[in-house]
Amino acid sequence: MNVWLVVLLAGVGSYLFRVSLVMLADRVILPERLERTSAFVAPAAFAALAAGGIAASTIGVEFALALPPLVAVAAAILAVFLTQSAIAAVLAGMPTLWVLSMVLGG
Amino acid sequence: MTNGTVEPVARVRGDAFAAGARAMLPWLAGIVPFGLIIGVSAAQADIPTLAGWLTGPTVYAGSAQVATIELLNVGAAPAVILLTVLIINLRLVLYSGAIAAHWRGTSWRWRATAAYLLIDPSFVVGMDRYQRHGDRHDAHRYYLGGAITLWVAWLLALGAGAVFGARLPTALRLEFVIPLYLVGEVVRRLDDRATRRAALTAAAVAVVASSAPLHLGVVLGIVTGLIAGATVRERNG
Repeated sequence: MNVWLVVLLAGVGSYLFRVSLVMLADRVILPERLERTSAFVAPAAFAALAAGGIAASTIGVEFALALPPLVAVAAAILAVFLTQSAIAAVLAGMPTLWVLSMVLGG
Repeated sequence: MTNGTVEPVARVRGDAFAAGARAMLPWLAGIVPFGLIIGVSAAQADIPTLAGWLTGPTVYAGSAQVATIELLNVGAAPAVILLTVLIINLRLVLYSGAIAAHWRGTSWRWRATAAYLLIDPSFVVGMDRYQRHGDRHDAHRYYLGGAITLWVAWLLALGAGAVFGARLPTALRLEFVIPLYLVGEVVRRLDDRATRRAALTAAAVAVVASSAPLHLGVVLGIVTGLIAGATVRERNG
């Protein structure tokens, strides 16, 4: 299946979710458990996607190459603790990554 | 304000769309950088940049778009990509169910359009207005004002990121911007115990399963994270 078709199908599926209960209209009571669980979707998805991306840059590569991303993540976490802003993670993490990569010759 | 305490009805109605758009503005401060970053990642990924940008008007949900682009980039199987996207977007069914009562009696075409624009910020802005008393038509216009503002800003941000990102050298390692931004989004939410459990479980499983076949690591992480979060809250009552 090609890239365009995947994007299109992902869009169609997402739209069907959006429109589903709106079209069924009359009051639909959703299970409370489902509603509670949905609160964790964003943090779980963000964490899994972030961890997957970090793992791809660090697992199975030599130490000198794995170190800059790991320190960048640490700098990002510290910056967010201090500022409570997600973009601070990028503003602190990327320069850390660049500097360390340069120093370690990555 | 010119004629005392009651504003003319026509003026209020005309303003409902603009009021919705204004209510969306604070959200844009957090959303536009995310859109820019996703646009950059679409440009840097090993897929046509336009296909990455198209996740905007089709999937129209930041985290699901990230999953689509990242998984396409690593060559994951289409079924795995679709499964991941649909699990991330399952919450849209909840939003659909919650807002359905307010859209009852509207035309089929209106609902089809309004539902297309349904996503976390438009849901919150819209529900806030629907739950207040007042004219329903104004509330619909308010929802559309907010939702359309968000849609335009999102697609522009993705486009700007994609154009800008295509010109940047790979030595900048911009593929790392998305994980860092997501780390930021997660760290911000760690105050709540159940959320913390969900996020840390999801991250741990995604790392351990990062070499799982078919790139199933991300979706496994999300599902176990959801289960971990849900069980904590239940025990707490």
